[in-house]
Amino acid sequence: MSVVEHTSHGPAHGAGAPHRRNIFMRPGFVRGIWCFALFFVIGYYLVFGIRTLAGWDPHQDWNIIVLVGGLTLGPIGFLLGIGAFDYWLYWVSGRPTIPDDHANHGATKWQDYFKVNTDHKVIGVQYLATTFVFFTLGGLMAMLFRAELAQPGMQFMDTQTYNGLVSMHAALMIFVFIIPAFAGLANFAVPLMLGAPDMAFPRLNALSFWFLPIAGTMFLCSFLAPGGAFATGWTSYAPLASEQPIGQIFFNMGVQWAGASSILTALNFLVTIITMRAPGMTFWRMPLLVWANFTTSLLVVIATPFIAGSQFFVMFDRVMHTSFFVPEGGGYVLGYQHIFWFYSHPAVYIMILPGFGIISEIISVMSRKPIFGYRLMAMSLLGILVLGFSVWAHHMFVAGMADWLRVPMMISTLLIAVPTGVKVFSWLATLWEGRIHLNTPMLFALGFISMFLIGGLSGVYLASVPITIHASDTYFIVAHIHYVLFGGSVLTIFAGIYYWFPKMTGRMYNESLGKLHFWLTFVSFNLTFFPMHWVGLVGMPRRVADYSDRFADLNLIVSISSFALGASVVVFFYNIIVSWARGPIAESNPWRAMTLEWQVTSPPPIFNFDEIPQVVGGPYEYGVPGARHAILAGTPTPAEAAV
Amino acid sequence: MRRGAIVRIAGIGIVIAILVSLVAVLIQWLPTSASKQMDRIEFVYWFATVICIGIFALVMSVLIYSVWTFRSPPEDESDGPSIHGHTGLEIVWTVVPAILVIAIGVLSAVVLSQNGSAGTNPMTIKVFAQQFSWRFEYPDSDGLKSGQLVLPVDRNITFELESADVIHSFWIPEMGQKQDLVPGIDTSIVITPTRTGTFSLVCTELCGLGHSTMRSTVEVVSQSDFDAWVAAQKSGGGKEDSGAAVFSSAGCSSCHAFKPAGSTGAIGPSLDDVAAAAKKAGMDPAAYVKESIVDPNKVIASGFAPDVMPGNFGETLSPEEIDALVTYLTGAKQ
Repeated sequence: MSVVEHTSHGPAHGAGAPHRRNIFMRPGFVRGIWCFALFFVIGYYLVFGIRTLAGWDPHQDWNIIVLVGGLTLGPIGFLLGIGAFDYWLYWVSGRPTIPDDHANHGATKWQDYFKVNTDHKVIGVQYLATTFVFFTLGGLMAMLFRAELAQPGMQFMDTQTYNGLVSMHAALMIFVFIIPAFAGLANFAVPLMLGAPDMAFPRLNALSFWFLPIAGTMFLCSFLAPGGAFATGWTSYAPLASEQPIGQIFFNMGVQWAGASSILTALNFLVTIITMRAPGMTFWRMPLLVWANFTTSLLVVIATPFIAGSQFFVMFDRVMHTSFFVPEGGGYVLGYQHIFWFYSHPAVYIMILPGFGIISEIISVMSRKPIFGYRLMAMSLLGILVLGFSVWAHHMFVAGMADWLRVPMMISTLLIAVPTGVKVFSWLATLWEGRIHLNTPMLFALGFISMFLIGGLSGVYLASVPITIHASDTYFIVAHIHYVLFGGSVLTIFAGIYYWFPKMTGRMYNESLGKLHFWLTFVSFNLTFFPMHWVGLVGMPRRVADYSDRFADLNLIVSISSFALGASVVVFFYNIIVSWARGPIAESNPWRAMTLEWQVTSPPPIFNFDEIPQVVGGPYEYGVPGARHAILAGTPTPAEAAV
Repeated sequence: MRRGAIVRIAGIGIVIAILVSLVAVLIQWLPTSASKQMDRIEFVYWFATVICIGIFALVMSVLIYSVWTFRSPPEDESDGPSIHGHTGLEIVWTVVPAILVIAIGVLSAVVLSQNGSAGTNPMTIKVFAQQFSWRFEYPDSDGLKSGQLVLPVDRNITFELESADVIHSFWIPEMGQKQDLVPGIDTSIVITPTRTGTFSLVCTELCGLGHSTMRSTVEVVSQSDFDAWVAAQKSGGGKEDSGAAVFSSAGCSSCHAFKPAGSTGAIGPSLDDVAAAAKKAGMDPAAYVKESIVDPNKVIASGFAPDVMPGNFGETLSPEEIDALVTYLTGAKQ
């Protein structure tokens, strides 16, 4: 290993760019834009040419042109333009390349965050910044349709706009916020925790990140399409989805880009975790965040190709006149739901297991105790992984699938409560007799446990087939998924950002504002989503633009609370932005944590470790006299590092 | 010390359990049941609720007690005891929840099987859904067709469900049972109404622009009233204004505003002045309206998109019904 030598390459002078090219030719957004336009035009003439030669009418079919030029070739052109493929193209074309080229590694000024960068720490921050842009937009859309729902009847928008906003909200939050925000946190933390200088494939890592703004922008651009944005919910069920205006294919293709990003990142994590652990870092010494991302990555590589397939098939039914899901052509409508949920159920674990990992780190460190039942905690992740693939049809209890499937799927769904319960009980036992420090990350962690508990228990109701037959497709479902995905995933994302903020930025956030953010979010979250359980059970279906007058009062409360929930995020943004610019300089290990990322400076050196650490024990040996997780040669003791 | 802790946790747990139980009991979480199936669903619901309240109280009491008792000031740099685990405890909290959820599973499976059984004295009603309306057929009453769902009380009714276009879902909240209507697949559901009254039938699967308007009313009546209703329908009851009846039963009002029908739908163009639209298209009003019903994509009103209106009314409506509808919409005397 030659990690130390790497540091001699500065980020400014790299190979492959012997002389500075003009702004149109050097990698960047300018080249990205004209390459997008060029590739779009190529796509246009490809479609137009083939259709003209074949004599297909109309020659200029915008359905196909948008798909080929705008949603496939154009984005590839953009990636080419910003330089995501430069190194590989140099290599393929036989031009000189330097394997240890670090020209695009690390960030010294803020502009470096807007370039293709191969440093996992920069990519982690790029992920988080990008996903929070989409989080903000998705949240604003939620407030727009909550304004419409504040009163029965239609006030501000037509149903096309309403359905579009609901679908867009979910698509943004799921595909380009929660899933990639976890990928961002893990991108930053996992290589550091493993004692590795970077991810296994840094250039692939950069490419996977850049798929993400493409996916999110693609979703958003569907608002500009004639007929409006995709409006069939994030589930996009066939055959409705194959009959929709052209905006629908922006969803079909956006999912492909987001999915490709997920799969490539997951492969990268798997290879990194398997091959790049520091000496002595056995699987049973890995922090639980690493375990969580290991299991999540396995879920992603196995499951995500299924949603890619489902979206391709439903789009082919539309643009190629296939009949995967068209009954008149011999298609099987429920086939879509089976394939879709074979991904989208594991996807809820993709959206929560990394959160479990974050919470395990925080609970242990802030309680100053070893995590209770470390091995069972790791095993329960694997248990959820395996069981997670046997429960997808619980989303289809009223869908008309084979009757015999219902009871087995119910039992496996109920059994998933067991490994999940193990995790909750183990966190409680970790708190027991600890020295609990109630700072912002810990508040979010404890808030997560209680909110996820409610989401988990409403999940027990929904596992029971007779209850689900009554509750499915109602607001009870909306309440449940928001307790799991907001009370669960989003609170863990906030916890993780506060926890690693000093490491990422080298500065400390404002503790009082952090606590204020927590309490505002916690209270307004419950006021927003708890009443939805009731309106759902007594009869209000989900995804309706208008509803019966008897639900008016609670819907008004929900709408007002949702605006408060939106406002609470402003506190977060203010805290993060101001602290990043002007916050007090952070110590290298403000939480006195044992895991490796805290044993280096804040922010860490460009290649993480000056010398490869030697791991000698478990990651959570708090209260064990003389115990160490790792030995870093030449690294000051924690007491000295604090200076 | 340890006993004191257990007593305090138990105290917090009991307080939480009482508070949550009050929330569970004082708020009416489920609609007042109107079917046998809903009664059984309620039983499973309460069984699960008791277990969930217990688990919630246990977790929250330990959480609150721990945070309250073990919190440390920021300057405290000591560590907690190095407890790595406890095999006995870990086995307990794996096995006990497994037993509890299996119990819920077994009860649910039994209830599911009961709720799916048509039992004795059954009756069949066919349900046809399309964007954005419901139609019904009574095969046991000589194939009587109706735009309104009328049910006799205390009969085991098997609904056979068909969709003409996209997926819809059939739900009467007070009766609990729900089933999707899937194009290309025949699905069914059993409901035994237990009290008379008026209920609403709602579509719960997003089916397009008019999804939230796809509602209909359900009348549950005594067997004798039901028989009387069937007889009245067969003898041509309601025929005198059948254009209006078709307008409502075919779901036109979901999307179109039409003053005589009192509808205000805005998904499709208003039908209040079809004569002007026909003039614009250069056609006779009756022919224009008929064409627009049977082949809606032929002329698209400005400001509206093609392919929104179902194109199959030529098949689902009889020629007489279409004629009645045309007469009604053009305002001609019958």
